[in-house]
Amino acid sequence: MDQKRGLCVHSVSVQTRRGEQGRGPKTSAPFYKEPILKFLSILLCGILSVLAAQAQDESAVREKLAHAVLSGSADQPKLVGELADTGSKIVHDVLIAWTRDGVFIFETNNVRIPVLLEEQTDANGNARAIRIDDGKFLVDDQKKELHFAATDLNALDTDARLRTVIQQTLDSLALSDPDPDARENAILKLGNSHKLNNISVLQARLAKEKNPAVVRAINEAIAMLQLGDADPQVQITAAQQLAALKSIGSLDMLKALAENKSSPPAVVQAAKIATSRINEHVVAVNFFGTIFRGLSLGSILLIVTLGLAITFGLMGIINMAHGEMIAIGAYTTYVVQNLFGSGFAFSINLPFHFFGHPVGFGLSLPGMNATGWWYESYFLFALPLSFLMAALAGLALERSVIRFLYRRPLESLLATWGVSLVMQQLFRMVFGANNVQVSSPSWLLGHFTLNDVSMGYNRVFVIVFAVLIVIGTWMLLTKTPLGLLIRAVMQNRDMASCMGVRTARVNMMTFAFGSGLAGLAGAFLSQIGNVGPSLGQSYIVDSFMTVVVGGVGSIVGTVYAAVGIGTSDQVLQQVTGSPVTGKIVVLVCIILFLQWKPGGLFSIRSRSLD
Amino acid sequence: MKSYLFKSLALVAALTLTPRGYADDTVKVGVLHSLSGTMAISETSLRDVLLYAFDEINTAGGIKVGDKSYKIEPVVVDGASNWPLFAEKAKQLLEVDKVAVTFGCWTSVSRKSVLPVFEQDKGLLFYPVQYEGEELSKNIFYTAEAVNQQATPAVDYMLKQGKKKFYLIGTDYVYPQTTDLILYKYLLLHGIPAENIGGGFRKDDSGKVISAGKYVPFGHTDFQQIVADIKQFAASGDACVLNTVNGDSNVPLFKEIAAAGLTAADCPVVSFSLAEDELRALPTKDLVGELGCWTYFMSLNTPANKMFLKSWNTWVKSQDHPGVVKEKRVVDSPMVLSYDGVYLWKAAVEKAGSFDVDKVTAALESGDISFEGPGGLITMQKNHHATKNVYIGETKANGQFKILETFPQVYGEPFLLKDLDAKLTAATK
Repeated sequence: MDQKRGLCVHSVSVQTRRGEQGRGPKTSAPFYKEPILKFLSILLCGILSVLAAQAQDESAVREKLAHAVLSGSADQPKLVGELADTGSKIVHDVLIAWTRDGVFIFETNNVRIPVLLEEQTDANGNARAIRIDDGKFLVDDQKKELHFAATDLNALDTDARLRTVIQQTLDSLALSDPDPDARENAILKLGNSHKLNNISVLQARLAKEKNPAVVRAINEAIAMLQLGDADPQVQITAAQQLAALKSIGSLDMLKALAENKSSPPAVVQAAKIATSRINEHVVAVNFFGTIFRGLSLGSILLIVTLGLAITFGLMGIINMAHGEMIAIGAYTTYVVQNLFGSGFAFSINLPFHFFGHPVGFGLSLPGMNATGWWYESYFLFALPLSFLMAALAGLALERSVIRFLYRRPLESLLATWGVSLVMQQLFRMVFGANNVQVSSPSWLLGHFTLNDVSMGYNRVFVIVFAVLIVIGTWMLLTKTPLGLLIRAVMQNRDMASCMGVRTARVNMMTFAFGSGLAGLAGAFLSQIGNVGPSLGQSYIVDSFMTVVVGGVGSIVGTVYAAVGIGTSDQVLQQVTGSPVTGKIVVLVCIILFLQWKPGGLFSIRSRSLD
Repeated sequence: MKSYLFKSLALVAALTLTPRGYADDTVKVGVLHSLSGTMAISETSLRDVLLYAFDEINTAGGIKVGDKSYKIEPVVVDGASNWPLFAEKAKQLLEVDKVAVTFGCWTSVSRKSVLPVFEQDKGLLFYPVQYEGEELSKNIFYTAEAVNQQATPAVDYMLKQGKKKFYLIGTDYVYPQTTDLILYKYLLLHGIPAENIGGGFRKDDSGKVISAGKYVPFGHTDFQQIVADIKQFAASGDACVLNTVNGDSNVPLFKEIAAAGLTAADCPVVSFSLAEDELRALPTKDLVGELGCWTYFMSLNTPANKMFLKSWNTWVKSQDHPGVVKEKRVVDSPMVLSYDGVYLWKAAVEKAGSFDVDKVTAALESGDISFEGPGGLITMQKNHHATKNVYIGETKANGQFKILETFPQVYGEPFLLKDLDAKLTAATK
């Protein structure tokens, strides 16, 4: 972060050199070009002087900063507080680093130099130190850059009082932060401060602000502060303003004002009207928010279930190892993440000996140590790979176990349950009994807010993803020759076989496809929850439930059931206020529904199911 | 009753009759933890640290009773995360192995399950894990954090930070329910109105609040609705979340919090069930800046702690005891409180000059048994709880805590509800 500043200083010197060259051709230029060149050179000089002033300004700021950091005396909080006026990014970066124990003191010959460590580290894990007082790298007597590990140096301590001052300084600095979100947060804090003198600070910012969202936040904050004004007229206007802005954040203040017995009746009235208007808005926000969350939960259910809708719904195999196919997808994502990072290795020692030698096997894959966007893109590679790995596992399962049990559903239930236990133990041996950490790429982390309904990118992603998977599956089943064969075999295996379809192969492909879909689900689940050996167990019941409610054998039914169950779960959570009660009500409804319609939403009559 | 009296007399007799003069006299000590099942992940570490403490004491010459020194002989049994089995194993330890003391249990339900056994057979149990209080058995010594050594200091800290709104969320079982009810009353007493305490209330017929906060079942994964609720609650600023969610449900919770854009700067989360050991399995990147409150942090910069960590690490590396994991070990509060418990018991035995439960209990209750542990001085109180330092820490990206505040030597008080009720009624009058 400080590095950028260093580069900036560097670019100033480059500009200077260019400037000198720029003046070079002036003497030899033809006369008609002179005014233009004159103008250009004046412009250049102007730019240079601005840059020089900035550089000078910066060095002054740095000196001030270094002084404040080193002072360590009683006036330190005051010195830090004064840094707020600089509006400088260096100040911001250093203060943040300070609160995180990232400011270090380098001591040599009784001189104390405050430094930051560069984020980039060398092979030994050491980093170059950036001097806070002049932004250059710390060098030794021979002008060689020094490298340190964080533990080599003494980190500068902070205490509670200093941290409060640092926080306040950061708040004031944040008002001019280039990031609108940071500005909004800072404004909200000032709005909640109950200090009327903050209004002038905010109004000064309002004059400069161009971002509509931030302008709105400033207006909101000013109105919130004005609620505490002594003049009832100002209070009433502020309340009306807040009602117009539908400010949820001011609800507490308005309520307090409405209940305050000492406030004039007109103010109380205005506050009450504003409260009820905002409450209406809250209801609307909750309504749309719940629908969005229901869709997202439904999409997760759908992704998790779609594979089962094919293996159980279409093929009629009760596959208890479906959950472990999901886990394979999730673990594949974990492995891919590690391959993009520092590599992946495991070794297993089996608990017996072979002629005195321990028996075991292991695998070690080197990592690419990728950084930046390349690392962030690991998830895009993980998606197809998780499909592939789960599909391969499904293929192996079908060939080794299931193909012998097509006409014996009860045995297939027991056999696949056994397989599921074996696979869980295998996950434990390879990846450990603890959950593994799968980090989300930054492009799935953020969120956006639409009329106060906040939507996480990962949630939007899952909805889009579910739609794509459903369309893909539907296309595969209805528009491709393989789909035709699949449908033929599923409707009547014997008849299809008589017609010359290689049913065993179609079965194998279909089962692999269903398992692959489960793998995709696992890749996604790794972004919102735990990845552990029993990951599959927590979804298997929900999956079967969704398929049965939708109607065994009907993909459309599964889609409706997933979205329906997801939405009603979220609505009931909102209504009952408790996740447990919500879930219970959903399950009771499902039981009653299946009593009434045992075939599910879309019951399909096919010979193979009769 | 007579038979138990007889048995304990027999035990004392057996101990006094052991032939003197041998250098390697031993005393049997029970270790009762789940080494298999769901709790094994957490409890195995406690078994390890206990074995380490026993080794340390044995190497240093054992326990000196009178003019003789006894080596500790551990009897390790597996509760297997099965609560009725805990009671059976406790009975086995007390009646078959006749152990002088037992160190064990993690979950409150396992403690409640063995409690009658220890009371009947006049055993002695040291319990090391933070718990909800409202219990005092004469046969159990709680080195664990009582609610006033973890949850209420954390609230004090948040109040001092200027927080005005508190959202309570937890897993649906006895520890979070009781803790949150205490916190609800504590917050009321500190001038936080009920409408600024989020998560909802459940009231009985008379309108008395019997449960405060939002509860999720074990293993809950969908926190969308709850986080949306928290976000609305925190919209007016100065809010924080008090989190008693247990286990791996914390992963989806914190991922959802991160995705909703709630940062530790706007609305910090104070978690009471996440220590260094749990953080190993959590995405610490999403947790930076969130808070924890324990009576020990691995990052404590004291000579005692540094020495402890050093010799613990050497011991772990050199262990060939089956099941002791050697890689990536961390130490957390329950482990240190287990370790402290062993030394407190040793000090009490040496003071009493006997392994007899009654005499050791009397020594522990005297109030002058203390131990300079890795987390600072710990002193056993008359009410079977321990006075110790309480620390507030902030999670760092490396899964450790940066200590923000220390409450020195906090007296452990198991019964808070009654006291708070009395104070609340006094305040309303």
